[in-house]
Amino acid sequence: MSDVPLIYTSKGNLPEADLRFEPMWEETPDYVKFIARYWLGDEVVKESAFVLSRRGLSSDAIAQPFV
Amino acid sequence: MANSFGIAGVAKQAAMSAILDGKTLKAALYLASGTTGPTTAAYTATGELAATGNYAAGGASVTNANTAGLTTTTAFWSPSASIVYPASMTSSGSFDMVMIYSTTDTNRNIGCFNLGAQSITAGLLTLTMPTNDASTGVVRFA
Repeated sequence: MSDVPLIYTSKGNLPEADLRFEPMWEETPDYVKFIARYWLGDEVVKESAFVLSRRGLSSDAIAQPFV
Repeated sequence: MANSFGIAGVAKQAAMSAILDGKTLKAALYLASGTTGPTTAAYTATGELAATGNYAAGGASVTNANTAGLTTTTAFWSPSASIVYPASMTSSGSFDMVMIYSTTDTNRNIGCFNLGAQSITAGLLTLTMPTNDASTGVVRFA
């Protein structure tokens, strides 16, 4: 008996071999995002995202001149 | 050497410290179709992901072991660990924003951060923080 790798999806545990894996990257000045998407036919049955923030938000404190 | 002008760095650090140091923080996710933002005073359920698919209303806990730092005249702070949402989460729609807010201070909105439009299906969502310094910290008063 051989073990078949299973992946948890919105349709329950499915054999990895039945799924199409689509890795994607998004890169912006603010973040880098890796998206791991699994398709069963034309339906997305699993999608995860891992976001690396490159920078947060900056707020300027302004000293108003008296003159 | 000439005088220089501006808000004192220690004042910015003190202001930041007052809203962040030792506070209990959470991170809520908002639908891309929503209208929540920096003008929103406190956490709101309006526009938030529905509490379905392992997403809990109010979002995930933020690990906050850092205190407000200061480099020259820029105060900065970041969560001290990645923000991790429950495993096998399914979002109720496409979201593009996370609000970090303080439950210690009647859910005061600390900031609203862009994630890019994203949906999660039976999957994971983790937000890894940038280097906590004056250039990239999650919250900076410059």
